[in-house]
Amino acid sequence: MKLVIDESRCKGCNLCTMVCPYHIFQEGDRLNERGIIVPKLDRPERCPNCRLQKLYGRRLCGACALICPDQAIRWEEEKPYEKHKVVIEY
Amino acid sequence: MTFMDWYREDRLPHIYCTGCGNGTVINCTLEAVEQMGWAVDDTVFISGIGCSSRAPGYIKTDSLHTTHGRALAFATGVKLANPRLNVVVFTGDGDLAAIGGNHFIHACRRNVDLTVVCMNNMIYGMTGGQGSPCTPVGAISTTTPYGAVEPVFDLSELAVTAGANYVARWTSYHVKELTKAVKDGLETPGFSFIEALTQCPTAYGRRNKLRQVSDMINYMRTNVILIQKKQRMLERGEAVPEEKIPVGEFVRRNRPAMGVPK
Amino acid sequence: MQGNTACAEGALAAGCNFFGGYPITPSTEIAEHMARRLPKKDGVFVQMEDEIASIATVIGASWTGARAMTATSGPGFSLMMENIGYAVMTETPCVIVNIQRGGPSTGQPTMGAQGDMLQCRFGSHGDYSTIALCPSSVQEMYDLTVKAFNLADRFRVPVFVMSDEVIGHTRERITIPDHVEIVPRRPLEKGTLPFHGGDDGVPGFPEFGRGHGVHVTGLTHDERGYPEATDPHIHETLVRRLVSKVESARHDIADYEVVNPDAETVFVTYGPPTRTVKQVMHDHPDERVGHLHLRIVWPFPERLLKIFTNAKTFIVPEMNMGQIVREVERHTCLPVIRVSKLGGELHTPDELQKLLEGRP
Ligand SMILES: Cc1ncc(C[n+]2csc(CCOP(=O)(O)OP(=O)(O)O)c2C)c(N)n1
Ligand code: SF4
Ligand code: SF4
Ligand code: SF4
Ligand SMILES: [Mg+2]
Repeated sequence: MKLVIDESRCKGCNLCTMVCPYHIFQEGDRLNERGIIVPKLDRPERCPNCRLQKLYGRRLCGACALICPDQAIRWEEEKPYEKHKVVIEY
Repeated sequence: MTFMDWYREDRLPHIYCTGCGNGTVINCTLEAVEQMGWAVDDTVFISGIGCSSRAPGYIKTDSLHTTHGRALAFATGVKLANPRLNVVVFTGDGDLAAIGGNHFIHACRRNVDLTVVCMNNMIYGMTGGQGSPCTPVGAISTTTPYGAVEPVFDLSELAVTAGANYVARWTSYHVKELTKAVKDGLETPGFSFIEALTQCPTAYGRRNKLRQVSDMINYMRTNVILIQKKQRMLERGEAVPEEKIPVGEFVRRNRPAMGVPK
Repeated sequence: MQGNTACAEGALAAGCNFFGGYPITPSTEIAEHMARRLPKKDGVFVQMEDEIASIATVIGASWTGARAMTATSGPGFSLMMENIGYAVMTETPCVIVNIQRGGPSTGQPTMGAQGDMLQCRFGSHGDYSTIALCPSSVQEMYDLTVKAFNLADRFRVPVFVMSDEVIGHTRERITIPDHVEIVPRRPLEKGTLPFHGGDDGVPGFPEFGRGHGVHVTGLTHDERGYPEATDPHIHETLVRRLVSKVESARHDIADYEVVNPDAETVFVTYGPPTRTVKQVMHDHPDERVGHLHLRIVWPFPERLLKIFTNAKTFIVPEMNMGQIVREVERHTCLPVIRVSKLGGELHTPDELQKLLEGRP
């Protein structure tokens, strides 16, 4: 699963940056088209939810999504990785 | 399912200001409701008037957005007339403790089977920042331009004294603890009261040297003290600093209650 | 049976299963009777902390489908005003009984009056319309209370039984019918917006707990029930519908009695003065004297005045300084005489007879 911030909802309050134990949310530095500075994600795949939500069948931690007052944080399905065909050349 | 499944997504984004704690408190409440395994169709959210009281409008269930201060009286009618419904009330410090103060103590006394989540931002948010019964002494509001002088209500202590079966206080920073407290409240038959201290950056923070949302969060993070710890300190005769805000579970008991489903 | 008891029994016969109230003279017997009777019928009686809470709890109960009512008198009625407006705006069926007493303020707690007739129509802020029934006997107290519940459910409005101390405390023999007609609320059809008025302007009722997921708010709302507090068009459409669903039915629901339609002098009454006029007409039968007795005063059925084609004068005796007489004046060019009486006592037959004879 992939951690995303819904830019159409985020109001840039930075509350998420205050709760993540991995400091995945970092204050942003760029205005988006709605004039909001949305936080940046620093290696979001470190979030246990990205890796383990499916496996455990429930949401782990989730502090960022709970505190986000604008319901802007969620995890999305990722497209399954395509198996790479490895052509071995002799 | 997660708490997000309880939102009327077509109503989002909501009207709250950037960094307002109300959205967080709704998340935590819905997460607790979700953990209870309740059905959307059997749950009713009720509120009075204020920013906090706008919450039910963003939730999928049947909901009643009533008049200023009277949410608990409306909720009493819903619950007594149909005890099968799960009834949760959202209210604010002004709604609950000022204009609705009488209904608050009587709902606690009757111990009606409701869960009440009060977003205490220590101010009248919706009307632009007037003093409330919870505005701290010395704080600036538009009606206390020289600093509030009236003593404040401790809502949680009031609920304990008036007879609620479950009382807890947390803050919008302590999302896990707040969620757990709401869930404990939902599980307890009778009147449950959860006070959530929340930041109102627009009408409170701005005027009280807590300009940034992070300032208000840090204030809540650093100033809370577990109620049990406070009690231990008092027992040992140690002084508890004035500004410390007790949080945690204030009471859990089993007084006779009204409106509990048979 | 006492008037107040008849009111409570009428409510029970109509299927009232929720009563929220606060004691106040001269209405208290209704609450006391409901407190005894409701729990035995699986209903709910709750004594609230004040009248604001009483009407609130009644509105809350109504949303779960209950037939809910409260009873009060002047001071309590004044406290209810904000939530009466809420019931109007949210289209919540409920019955509010006002056993009127002399006002203003605490006034005359044990004396009858009709001083709240305009308050029940205009007392809450904003434009709206409601239904008010006025019994003039203990029998009518029973019958009109039943009717109040049916009208509340049919139009989805708060309905007032505007009685008074005189009828509330009168004891009379009444006939309790074996069967009373109960017209239930029309439920909201699935797939219809919860605040869509339809043909008669009355939306179907989305009872709580039935999966409608309805949001009910006192803010101006669209047909989905969602707040839209700044759109002038939505506000105007909503308020006009709330008023017209009641006003357009005023002749359809009119409940009245006409005596001597060819008369020249016509009494128009509701509530206790009806009794005095009946006495006068009984004691001095005279075809030149007519009587229009209104059991439903609001919405005011002005067309009824036209029944009296030969009328030269209307006389309106009221136990106030002249409230409903304004409606009569508004709707006729003929002279209208107001006979107002304050203090709690009824007009005497002699007072009215003198007027007819032109005696001082
Ligand atoms: C009878 C009545 N009086 C006053 C108001 C105006 N009013 C609306 S919200 C509010 C204060 C709300 O404060 P609080 O309950 O703390 O909610 P917050 O906005 O802070 O969440 C007031 C006074 C009203 N709507 N109704
Ligand atoms: S779920 Fe927890 S660990 Fe994952 S991003 Fe959110 S706060 Fe960080
Ligand atoms: S908490 Fe939510 S709204 Fe606030 S910055 Fe983070 S993602 Fe945006
Ligand atoms: S005024 Fe305060 S309480 Fe209201 S939405 Fe804004 S921040 Fe929140
Ligand atoms: Mg507040």
